Amino acid sequence: MPELRTPLLSVENLTIAFGGLVAVRDFSIAVAPGTIHALIGPNGAGKSTTFNCISRLYRPNAGRILFDGQDITRLPSSAMAGLGIARSFQNLELFNELTVYENILIGAHCHCGASLRDRLSARPPHLAAEIDRIIERTGLGAYRETKACNLDFGHQKLLELARALAIRPRLLLLDEPAAGLRNREIAILDGLLTDLARRDGLTILLVEHVMQLVMSISDRVTVLNFGTKIAEGTPQEVKSNPAVVEAYLGKETALHG
Amino acid sequence: MRFLAIAVAAAVLIALPLVTTGYVVYLANLLLTFTVLCLGMHIVIGETGQFSLAHAAFYGIGIYAAGIAGTTFGTPFPVSILIGGLAASAIGFVIGMVALRMRDIYLALATFAFGEAMQWVFLNWNAVTGGPNGLRIAPARLFGLELVTDKDAYPFVVATAIAMLVLTVIVARARLGRSFRAVRESEIAAQAMGVPVRRTKVVAFGISAFFAGIAGGMFTLFSTYIHPDSLGFQTTILVLTMVVVGGLGSIGGAVGGAIAFGLISELLRQAPSFQEIAYGAILIVFMMYAPKGLFAFLADRFRGARHA
Repeated sequence: MPELRTPLLSVENLTIAFGGLVAVRDFSIAVAPGTIHALIGPNGAGKSTTFNCISRLYRPNAGRILFDGQDITRLPSSAMAGLGIARSFQNLELFNELTVYENILIGAHCHCGASLRDRLSARPPHLAAEIDRIIERTGLGAYRETKACNLDFGHQKLLELARALAIRPRLLLLDEPAAGLRNREIAILDGLLTDLARRDGLTILLVEHVMQLVMSISDRVTVLNFGTKIAEGTPQEVKSNPAVVEAYLGKETALHG
Repeated sequence: MRFLAIAVAAAVLIALPLVTTGYVVYLANLLLTFTVLCLGMHIVIGETGQFSLAHAAFYGIGIYAAGIAGTTFGTPFPVSILIGGLAASAIGFVIGMVALRMRDIYLALATFAFGEAMQWVFLNWNAVTGGPNGLRIAPARLFGLELVTDKDAYPFVVATAIAMLVLTVIVARARLGRSFRAVRESEIAAQAMGVPVRRTKVVAFGISAFFAGIAGGMFTLFSTYIHPDSLGFQTTILVLTMVVVGGLGSIGGAVGGAIAFGLISELLRQAPSFQEIAYGAILIVFMMYAPKGLFAFLADRFRGARHA
């Protein structure tokens, strides 16, 4: 039972306001280690805002964020990678003019080594095997020396994931990883994320609209609406929750999804 | 291809003082100095994607620091050059820490303002810079050796330029260079990868100022006089134009741009009233037809011709 373990990430009573507009109100979530936890809800519900707060791009007005027991609420965004928190971006934030390999290598920024030789190395040899593995696993083998901007959209999405994996994360924050992907690509992503959680023990928190993926891979699902949590539970529980159906899923998905 | 280019460059550099007159060697010294200025500009704007419109100021700091060290205190010239570089980078780090809180046009304006302020300092700090009378620079010395003519200075100018080129390549390949490019491509992603964005920008700015200061030191090897008039915004724009014409973001572009555009601007000296118009026209033409610079443009043409 994952719920019984100490959470790897817990967000406590988070409130974020932009001017007078409260985007997220008194929101709490606990993500158990080794699980896949999805955050869903209609557009404007505050999912990405919550996400950006956890990855320290926004500062909350109230509340705490604990990672592995440590309060990270006041830490800078650039400290996240060192702690083992990686993220992807909803609207791709790749290093466009750089190659696939170099994108992933920058993901490994914190692991390049401290010796002068490591610092000066264009391709640190001790990282080669690890990066090869990541490239192979994300299916980017044919594009190692391709510029990120020349990849098709599906591979750009995968590169975001590959780059995040190079951080050697314990917690992976994915902002709509399946948005814009074709069914075949979603199936690949489904297998990859499941594998990362089950086999590597990675903890994944994702925001996603593609219900097919959410319901297939998630251990737990939290539903946000107008900045507040309206439901939480297993995919089955959430799917049959009348408040969720009313606010977000609609009758069609509840019956057939 | 690259090997061939290096071989040709080496042959030209070696043959130049043997087959030409003093004026051509002076021109070569000046172009090599501008090459180092361009490498510095390349690091901050090409690699890191940050505006710096104070390059002439750092160049000036290098010239005055190295010139005064050599002339007044009689330091051997390698030490003078280093003093020039370190003085410029020390001030560069301080300015960078303040200016790099801003971005884009605000950063451009802040660095522009600093450049203008420095020119005013050069012009008015009479006790140190000689003010509007300019500063006489004594011939560079090293133990018994004294560099009097352009030809005397040439080998040392070449050696310094090559050393700075090698340093640029080392930085670009290193983790630091990757951080620069990450910041240029996406600050938000760089931050998420653990790259300290602000610090990386300040380091880029400081290194860029160091290069400009070293270039200033090189200038003191073959020049006897400096006047603040040649350390204004025009010089910054000249360097920026060289980097853009050569090709923003590539080391080869920075070097090629310095030499190609430096030669053009020297030819235009015959017609000073047209010089500025010609600069503007060249910049516009490149922006329109070869935004990636002269060398990317030629490479595309060459490749196209081979495939045809």
